[in-house]
Amino acid sequence: MTEADPLVDFSGIKKSYGPFEAVKALDLTIGRGEFVAIMGPSGCGKTTSLRMLAGLETPTAGTIRIDGKAMNNVSVHDRDTPLVWQSLALFPFLNVKENVEFGLKMRGVPASERDARAMLWLDRMGLKGFETRRIDDLSGGQRQRVALARSLVTEPQMLLLDEPLSALDAHLVIRMQGVLTKLQKELGITFVYVTHSQSEAFAMADRVVIMGQGEIAQIGTPQEIFRAPKNRFVAEFVGRNNILEGTVTGGIIIIDGTEYPLPGATEGHTEIVVAADRMEIHDTPPSTAAIPADFVSEEFAGTGIICYFEGPGGEELKAQVNETQLAALSPEPGQRFWLSWSPDAAHVMED
Amino acid sequence: MRLGNTLSWVYLTALFAFVFAPIVTSMVFSFNSDRFPTVPLGEFTLQWYQTAFSRPEVWTAFRNSLIVAAAAAALSTCLGFATAYTDFRYGFRFKNAYLALALLPPTIPLVIMGLAMLAWLSRLGLSGTLPGIIIAHTVMGAPFAMAICRLRLQQMDPSLEAAAWNLGASPWRAMRSVVIPFCAPAIISAYCLTAAVSFDEFIVAWFVSGLNKTVPVMILEILQGNVDPQINAIGTVVFLTSMTLVIVAQLLILRKSAK
Repeated sequence: MTEADPLVDFSGIKKSYGPFEAVKALDLTIGRGEFVAIMGPSGCGKTTSLRMLAGLETPTAGTIRIDGKAMNNVSVHDRDTPLVWQSLALFPFLNVKENVEFGLKMRGVPASERDARAMLWLDRMGLKGFETRRIDDLSGGQRQRVALARSLVTEPQMLLLDEPLSALDAHLVIRMQGVLTKLQKELGITFVYVTHSQSEAFAMADRVVIMGQGEIAQIGTPQEIFRAPKNRFVAEFVGRNNILEGTVTGGIIIIDGTEYPLPGATEGHTEIVVAADRMEIHDTPPSTAAIPADFVSEEFAGTGIICYFEGPGGEELKAQVNETQLAALSPEPGQRFWLSWSPDAAHVMED
Repeated sequence: MRLGNTLSWVYLTALFAFVFAPIVTSMVFSFNSDRFPTVPLGEFTLQWYQTAFSRPEVWTAFRNSLIVAAAAAALSTCLGFATAYTDFRYGFRFKNAYLALALLPPTIPLVIMGLAMLAWLSRLGLSGTLPGIIIAHTVMGAPFAMAICRLRLQQMDPSLEAAAWNLGASPWRAMRSVVIPFCAPAIISAYCLTAAVSFDEFIVAWFVSGLNKTVPVMILEILQGNVDPQINAIGTVVFLTSMTLVIVAQLLILRKSAK
């Protein structure tokens, strides 16, 4: 996505630590009021990119622009890029209100105004009555909200979040996701959210950036990433996908000698993805083309059950079913099944 | 179990008795009217305190000791904190060598340290002056101050300082409003401990003090003349001063690390 007037523009950003290239090539624009999630496995360069945006790291090459202005020589404390830290980094020797006021104090806002604005945000975050509490005496969720209030009290144009929910219990994560999305909509500011959790990224973000080994692997809406992964890395990272290799000739793909319809695909060797929830399981060979596979195990995955199979070449195949379907199949380990999919469920990967 | 418990209490009592008996004895005799430390005790008296503290040189020695302790502790704490912060914040080549050097002074035998200081300070024309003793005691105290500050900094979330920058604090402002407040208990405790080290220190002070005697040096000089219960009185005051400093330091360290 290119935009005429983006808020953030990474162009040709590289970052290396000695021989190690943390970020190899990053070109990314982030729009005003957009909720962008940068996602990837650990060590993919997502946190480094966020830290470069905040000025905590200096790019080895390239320029980061915020609001059209090159940030190369702007130091951390002169940027208006508050960050919600993974560890939250609340000041333990200050009480809740003093923590929230910190940014205003550093900017020389007079005490009376500081007080009013801090109280407003504490109220907004449901922390009224906690002003004089010590940070150590708060629960995880409360600390989270103090950290948000502390970052937002200066009314920034954007908020950076570095895996802020990773230390919370599962039920709190869902609650905080609601708080964050609502907040972002109400404030209309840009959120840049770094995470390794796809449930967080997919639940909140307008646009997801998948990074791998210091490069962008794919940018798209959660649905695009989920349904149309561009490459093997994304398909595997998102998970619950079957990656199948074959050769396309005239509207069919030949996988292990079996022909499957694949209309509109370019000729030649290619990889396709079939999501686990689009895979159909048959206990007798169906009339359509299907892969014979031996049942291995099942895994309860909240929204459904993932069944794991071993394909003819020993590859792992997955199909998602619900509990009724599982009961009807009642698979035994080693039992032979046939897996098929409708042609429109197959997605051809670009590279 | 009961027996084990009793035994450990006996052991603990014996241990403390062994450590504190000489000091307690000295304290008891400082209030005893007899000229020589013998049992049975004579009457309770404050006369040794009166005689000791009516001597102007005792007051001068206490004044010297207090000035030296206050100044050496301040310098040691500043140096120690700066060294510990450098270790915390920066990675550089030869960092291990830097740390080893910083922690070296306590491993040097005190007699050698005293001699070296005497030679060095005479060259600078500082031998026999209070600034000379202050320098010597700073060298001795700084490693302790550094160790204490380093312990505290290790408990600090490295993001804490960066969080302050991120919220608009310049590096100096972040140091003042985040790092130093976070380390405050350690800094005060380092100050108390290094003050105690300086207040008690005899050997190096003896080499470099010249005519500006500190209390421990003066005690030895009185002792060389004769056995006098005034020593007990002065010793008691010195012990209580040092103990207070050490206890304050310990309380600050323990209170914070319990969290």
